Amino acid sequence: MASLAAAQVQEVRSITRIERIGAHSHIRGLGLDDALEPRAISQGMVGQKMARKAAGVILQMIREGKIAGRAVLLAGQPGTGKTAIAMGLAQALGPDTPFTSMAGSEIYSLEMSKTEALTQSIRKSIGIRIKEESEIIEGEVVEVMVERSAGGGGARSGRLTLKTTDMETNYDMGTKMIDSLLKEKVQAGDVITIDKATGKINKLGRSFARARDYDATGQQARFVQCPEGELQKRKEVVHTVTLHEVDVINSRTHGFLALFSGDTGEIKSEIREQINSKVAEWREEGKAEMIPGVLFIDEAHMLDIECFSFLNRALESETAPVVIMATNRGITRIRGTNYKSPHGIPLDLLDRMIIVPTTPYSHQELREILNIRCEEEDCQMSADALTVLTRVATETSLRYAIQLITTASLVAKRRKASEVSMEDVKKVYSLFLDEHRSEQFLKEYQDEFMFNDGGGDAAQMMEVAQ
Amino acid sequence: MKRKFNLVENIDSSGQGNKFEGCSSETDKKYKMFKNTIWYNLLLNAEKTCLKDEQIKKIHYKFDDGKEMVEEYNVDTKVLLRRTWKMKGKLGGEGKWSVELGDPIPETTTNADSIAIIESKDQPVLLKRNTRVNIEWRIRNLPYPIETYSIKAQNDDKSIVISTSNKKYYKKLDVPELVRLGLPIEQMNIDATHKYNTLIITYKKPQELLNMDKEWFEELNKIKPIKDIPNECKTQ
Repeated sequence: MASLAAAQVQEVRSITRIERIGAHSHIRGLGLDDALEPRAISQGMVGQKMARKAAGVILQMIREGKIAGRAVLLAGQPGTGKTAIAMGLAQALGPDTPFTSMAGSEIYSLEMSKTEALTQSIRKSIGIRIKEESEIIEGEVVEVMVERSAGGGGARSGRLTLKTTDMETNYDMGTKMIDSLLKEKVQAGDVITIDKATGKINKLGRSFARARDYDATGQQARFVQCPEGELQKRKEVVHTVTLHEVDVINSRTHGFLALFSGDTGEIKSEIREQINSKVAEWREEGKAEMIPGVLFIDEAHMLDIECFSFLNRALESETAPVVIMATNRGITRIRGTNYKSPHGIPLDLLDRMIIVPTTPYSHQELREILNIRCEEEDCQMSADALTVLTRVATETSLRYAIQLITTASLVAKRRKASEVSMEDVKKVYSLFLDEHRSEQFLKEYQDEFMFNDGGGDAAQMMEVAQ
Repeated sequence: MKRKFNLVENIDSSGQGNKFEGCSSETDKKYKMFKNTIWYNLLLNAEKTCLKDEQIKKIHYKFDDGKEMVEEYNVDTKVLLRRTWKMKGKLGGEGKWSVELGDPIPETTTNADSIAIIESKDQPVLLKRNTRVNIEWRIRNLPYPIETYSIKAQNDDKSIVISTSNKKYYKKLDVPELVRLGLPIEQMNIDATHKYNTLIITYKKPQELLNMDKEWFEELNKIKPIKDIPNECKTQ
């Protein structure tokens, strides 16, 4: 049993070590200096100086928190760093400022009306900092154990052992708790606090007793004393909750449990009004502080005319966050109408926005971005391979060139080379088509594809067949 | 604020009264003491509702500051069985009942998905009980022998502290009953036994507390119980 347990812990550790790399995981901020001037290459950001400078100004506006309900539009061609700038802004704001990110198309696939979905995301983007007494478990982690049940179905059970200088207790964990523990990469020797009601985990640092385990500590590990006394205490803690969370607590008898299960459904407008007046009261009494955050809507042209008119109105509310939208469309049809408008956004909403354009990257900038991505994807690339890749990026697209990095590095690994050479890049370039070459190919061989006999009459043929 | 002021006056006047009377018996003086506490006056002024369910009498208190408390008495033994407080979150929502004294209320929703983190089943469980002469704490699932424990009255933070020499268990027990009457916690009143994996700590109730219990039970008899109990309540 003991050996099994040890094996389990080992497994958990190895999983937590893996960091998955996303499209924007190299971005750590906006790359601005203290005067909000953009540095050439910093925090994963390259080029796009004007847009970044504009984002810096917006950042300042959000930080000051005075102005509610401004809308910003990031407009530019595909692959010019719109999402990257939004992510950078989120990073620069820090974890305490609510940042909600959604895609415009998301609102169509929820089990609620479009305006409710928008209202919820707007209210998710407004934080309230409030002091509240809650049950806190504070202790040093002795052991984390996660077991997968034999029956399959992914059901897991978790056990956590915590200690203070005076006592030791075992805890059972639910699925959500296990996930957040794994996400926070909690290991034996960490000193953590867990909010019993919300399940929020806060890593305080590593225990002094573990100061000698060099292998398990990162560079910025902070060492703290192991807590003393009881593990579980009632403490006044400063919570940052979003308006949406307060709505949910008050809309159901289950309270926080609904938040955990994710099943919140629609929330009555009376409840929202109640909460708004309550929050206003708290603010007046100085009990709570409002933190306006950011709602980021990617692919904003996917919203339809109803959403736009709703946003028009919602932005005028006092409790509106700063809304940042991004779109890669030019003059196009507004969804839900037959009218055409710049960026597919109605003119009255556009009028309320400040528009930040992003421009295509220069050759040199592309090279820098590819270089950063190579580092992020842990791939050694020779200088001439990088040159080839940059040329690929200029001629096709940046995204396609980025796709080639890991694929090329896998090809290089197969021939047991430590560095990706020009040949590897050429090989994957021939293996994987870019969008342009794929189109070319289709045009050439269209006749041989299914339902394509007799140039473009496919639809007619189908009808005849029926 | 106003009430507090009155209280101070009361204490003063009673002190003087004793001086003047001089001859009043010792028990009588103690008998009156608790009536001057904030706690007793809070209970007196609270809005009270009484429900009688066979052998159990339930009293619901609603205090001026919006707090709610429920007490359950055994009618035959006149002993308080359970005292619970409604805990309201600052952010709103339905509050939970937190048990100060007596058996915990069994939770209705115990499915594994909804629980974030909870003590394992084999971990020590604390239970506080009230008997006629003692306040009693039972801590189950504590396998260590009696020598392991040190139980100390700690008056600076008004609690009884249990610690273990093997550093496996540590607990601060609040004694709100004594704190409310402004009584100190006396080491000599504490007794502990260990049997069947259970540590039982008893605290002998001081005379003032016994008097207050008795007097308050009489006082509660003045409240007329509600006759028509809704069906849902009866089943519980």
